Amino acid sequence: MNQADVSKLVSQLRIKVNPRLRKFRNPGGPEERLNKLRKTVTALIKHERIELNYPRADEARMYAERLISDAIRYGDCHKTTMEMADYWLTEKQLVHKLFKVLAPRYQNYNVSFSRLYKAPRPYPGDKNLKAVLELRGNPFPSVTPDTQSNRNLIHNVLLDEAKKEYRQKKYEEIASKIEMEAEKMKTTDAATKETSV
Amino acid sequence: MAASLMFRRINVALANLERTLVELLNPRGPPPDAFCLVGVEGYRVSGNEPKPFSIKDIIGDGLLWAVPKHRRSLEKRLKRKFGDPEYVNKLILPKTTLRVCNTCGDDHEVGVLCPTCYKKVIEETKLMQDKIQEELKLEPVETEVVVLYNGEKDDKPSEFWQGKRIVEMEKERPSWFSKNLTQQTTQQPATTSDVKPSQLG
Ligand SMILES: [Zn+2]
Repeated sequence: MNQADVSKLVSQLRIKVNPRLRKFRNPGGPEERLNKLRKTVTALIKHERIELNYPRADEARMYAERLISDAIRYGDCHKTTMEMADYWLTEKQLVHKLFKVLAPRYQNYNVSFSRLYKAPRPYPGDKNLKAVLELRGNPFPSVTPDTQSNRNLIHNVLLDEAKKEYRQKKYEEIASKIEMEAEKMKTTDAATKETSV
Repeated sequence: MAASLMFRRINVALANLERTLVELLNPRGPPPDAFCLVGVEGYRVSGNEPKPFSIKDIIGDGLLWAVPKHRRSLEKRLKRKFGDPEYVNKLILPKTTLRVCNTCGDDHEVGVLCPTCYKKVIEETKLMQDKIQEELKLEPVETEVVVLYNGEKDDKPSEFWQGKRIVEMEKERPSWFSKNLTQQTTQQPATTSDVKPSQLG
C-alpha cells in the first residue's frame, strides 16, 4: 500500500490541541473570532510575552505554534505559508521576524515554541483565569523561580562540600610544598655555611 | 288533659314535617335558623352585652406576620443549613491548594505563578518591551534583540556585538536577573576528561 503518512501531511504541534474550538463572544460573526485571534498572535510574535485571559491565550497559542512550525517546515519561499503569515500577522514587519528570527531560533527545538502560565489574580476576585503567554528564548527575565541556584538543594549542598574538600586538599599541597622549600633552604644554608667555614 | 296532649303531638308532627321539607329542598346547606319565640329575649338586660371578638384588640398598631403552617423536616433543615458536599457546600473547609513560594515566601495557589515574584518580573518585562519597541519602531525585524544594562556593552569588544540588535536599558541590571540568561551560546566542549569540582557549580 502506497498510502501517504497522514501524520506527516501537517506540522505536528508539541502542545495539546483542543478537540473543540472556543467560540468566544462574536457579535460580528465567525470572522470576528479570527480577527481577535489575529490580534493576539500578532501581539505574541511582537512582544514575545503577553498577559491576557486564559481561554484566549490557549486558543491563540495553537495558531501561533502552527504558524511558526509551518515557517520552519516550508521556509519563506512557500507561497501558502507566506499567505498564512501575511494573514495572521497584521503588522507586516513581523513577517520578517517570523522567517528570519523565530524560524532559526526554533529550528532545533524538540519542545513547544511557546509557554503558557496561569497568572496570579487578586484574591478574592473574579474566578476567571488570567494567563501569561510567551515565546521560548525571549530576552526577558524568567517568570518561574530559579530553582537551580537554591543553595539548600541537595545537589548544591553536595557540590559545595566537594568544593570545600578540593580546596582543603589544595591548601595541604601548597603547605607541604612551602615546608619542603623551607627545608631545602635550611639544608642549602647549612651547606653554604659549611663551605664558608 | 287530652286536648293539651293532642296539641303537643300536632306540634311535633309539624316540626318533623318542616325539617324533612328543608332537607329535601337544601340537602347540603347550612342548618336552618332555629325557631324561637320572640318573647323569650325580653327579660335580658341590654347594657351588659359582651363586645364582639376582634383581632384588632390583640394586635393594636403592630403587624401580623405569616407563620409556618407545617413542620419542616430535619433533612430539609440540615440541607438548608450546611448545603450538600456534591452541589453547594456551605461548610467552611480548609483550602489545600495553597503553597509557600520558595523564593520570596509569599503564598500562592498551586499551578499559578507566585504574585510577588511575578509582579517583579512583569514590571521589568514591560520596561524592556517598551524600550525594545522604541528602538525597533516599524522597521522589519531581522536579528535577535539583545537587551543590555548599564556598562555591559563595554565588557565585550565591539566585534562581539556585530550583527546583533542591541537595546540598552538606562539603568543597572537588577540583582535577581541573572546575566547568564542572555547568553545563548553553549560552552565549548572540554579537551581533557578530568573535572574540577570548582567548575561544576
Ligand atoms: Zn515568590
